Amino acid sequence: MSAAETSGKIEYSDSVNRNALIAVKAHLIAGLLVFLLMMLGGLTMRAAQGTWLEIGADLFYQIMTVHGVGVVGAAVIASTGVQWYFLRQYVRLSNGIFWTNFIIFLTGVVMILGSIFVGKYGGAWTFLYPLPAISMGAWSNGAAALFQLGVLIIGVGLLILYLDFGRAILARYGSLARALGLTQLFGKEPVDYKHPAAVVASTMVLIVNFLGIAAGAVVLVMGLINLYYPEFKPDALLMKNLIYFFGHVIINATIYASVIAVYELLPRFTGRPWKTNKPFYAAWFAIVFMVMGVYPHHLMMDFPMPSWALIAAQILSFGSGIPVMVVTGYGALMIVYRSGIKWSTTAKLLVLSMFGWGAGVVPAILDAMITVNRTFHNTLWVPGHFHFYLLIGLLPMIIGFTYYLTGEGDSKEETKTVDNLGFYAYLIGAFMTSMVFLASGANSIPRRWAAHLPEWVGYAQVGTVAASLVVIGMLFFIVRALVSLPGASNPR
Amino acid sequence: MHLTIKMEWLPVAALVILALPPMQKFLEQSMVTHMLVQIPALAVIGWFLGRALPENWGNQLAPWNRWGITGMVFAIAIMTYWMLPRALDAAVAEWYAELAKFITIPAMGIALGVSWPQLNPIAQGVLKLEFWATFMRLGWLYLDLPDRLCANYLLSDQRVLGQLLLLAGSAWAITWTLRVTFGTRIINT
Ligand code: HEM
Ligand SMILES: [Cu+2]
Repeated sequence: MSAAETSGKIEYSDSVNRNALIAVKAHLIAGLLVFLLMMLGGLTMRAAQGTWLEIGADLFYQIMTVHGVGVVGAAVIASTGVQWYFLRQYVRLSNGIFWTNFIIFLTGVVMILGSIFVGKYGGAWTFLYPLPAISMGAWSNGAAALFQLGVLIIGVGLLILYLDFGRAILARYGSLARALGLTQLFGKEPVDYKHPAAVVASTMVLIVNFLGIAAGAVVLVMGLINLYYPEFKPDALLMKNLIYFFGHVIINATIYASVIAVYELLPRFTGRPWKTNKPFYAAWFAIVFMVMGVYPHHLMMDFPMPSWALIAAQILSFGSGIPVMVVTGYGALMIVYRSGIKWSTTAKLLVLSMFGWGAGVVPAILDAMITVNRTFHNTLWVPGHFHFYLLIGLLPMIIGFTYYLTGEGDSKEETKTVDNLGFYAYLIGAFMTSMVFLASGANSIPRRWAAHLPEWVGYAQVGTVAASLVVIGMLFFIVRALVSLPGASNPR
Repeated sequence: MHLTIKMEWLPVAALVILALPPMQKFLEQSMVTHMLVQIPALAVIGWFLGRALPENWGNQLAPWNRWGITGMVFAIAIMTYWMLPRALDAAVAEWYAELAKFITIPAMGIALGVSWPQLNPIAQGVLKLEFWATFMRLGWLYLDLPDRLCANYLLSDQRVLGQLLLLAGSAWAITWTLRVTFGTRIINT
């Protein structure tokens, strides 16, 4: 097969393209708005822990639950928007399916919101068995069930979308191995530097999320059965394994879906193409297994776990993220270095995301070491590491892509003051938020505590200030998106 | 003498054999053969019967079964019913429930055979995953439940069935993964 055939772009009719662009914008705006609301929730939690705000413990845990599930949902829906936008240029995807997933997603969101704020469910987004069933009166069985049904529904919507990805990728490349570039990696086909990175990344995301959703479909229903038929007591450790497999894979995959924006956009701004090559394929092949194999780092304190699984998880966690991070970070540097790139806010955000992702991996790896985990397990170190790479890695990819869609990335004008204000408020706030969490964790402050001891309150107060900065930055971004995005035409 | 067997009669013959009382007793004496041999066999027979139906029957039905949706809903309803333990118990104990089983499950097979190929490939994928998940969920339930689900079958029987379901589900998952990963187009476009 010739290079032109593997990398050629798909043609759609104008009306289909218009509709697709609207759909992508809807995903981004929905995602960003949810992010903003959830950040306000985060701010509230920090202020409550800092004693600047008085809220009951039940409300704290409801906010913590909605914050967790909300940001994961927003990350999924927004990163899906990014991914779909680029993937459809290489394989023929259906607008109808994309919208279907969006509608199903919104339905699930309504169910989840109902379960939390009407039903008072506050058992965290991880719905860890048997907690949902033993609320001691804080919420009803029905509320816990509604929450899990909402998650299940969202999973079904995503499943539909991934089946469409799979269908389209198989139609064009014949097998997932070929789409991942494995035939080139193992010398069955000559290396095609134009094989789209978007296809490689999407195939990886498709595989892991499909399996994640499969595990979720089983474990969510088992949890539901337990709610209504308490004599059925599934093995708690097996449930925990499946839940964390599902949760870890889904949230992790969002960053691998969004990084497509870096592959596609940075070359645009510098005129140097992103060339796929063997190390690139090898890294993405490895990450398929790593993303699925590292979840036991959540179970390091569960002594009945077989130790081989924990050791494997520790080793994989060391390596996890590194391969793709390295090829991406290195590739991005090579593209940007002395390219005379114009530092639009879009470009700044995308480069920031590389930093956030790379640096955020460090505290994550530390925590995935069994000896360190003994001390840091369930301290604020954990929120520290993931807020780092979600706030400074994932979100800048998504926001950067949103800016690109408004036309900012290609515009010849100087960056606007509002954009600069937003960018730096966000950057400083997000960095501080994460560092305060990490520092708190290093000082053994536990996570998921509604009320903090007097000696911890100072940290939470600094965290509150940091959070306000993030919110201010995000407000700038959102206003910009709401003003410029709806009318923007597709960047050519 | 020259003997010609029309292919269409094979499923009917198989149905008759399964319905013979000794065969029936033999397959229903254990939960495993009841659920994993007899019922699937009845469904497969239905599937082939559906394939052998005269052309114009299908055409008559077509407007009622656009995209195969009606047929699938029908099939899933029957499937769900026969997954209830009390339905199996009734089939062992009462002749009319047994009769109902011998009619509805082949009917489900017919509906599947007619409707599945018409179904949108995405819907096929969702249903396949759902069927797979049902295997795993039921297997897990049969293994972990403290009590017998069927009055007619032993707890040990239930445990073996649970293990077999999990095994079958795992084998299915592995083959499916290998097939999409390493080639052969399995989803038609
Ligand atoms: C202004 C920005 C944010 C602030 C101030 C904030 C604050 C918080 C706080 C206070 C917690 C609870 C910590 C504890 O256990 O005591 C938390 C948990 C969490 N946050 Fe954030 N957050 C922010 C943004 C985000 C974003 C953008 C994401 C993801 C993309 C995110 C993902 C999570 C997750 C997954 C949890 C865990 C919830 C749980 O323990 O069940 N956060 N956050
Ligand atoms: Cu994890």
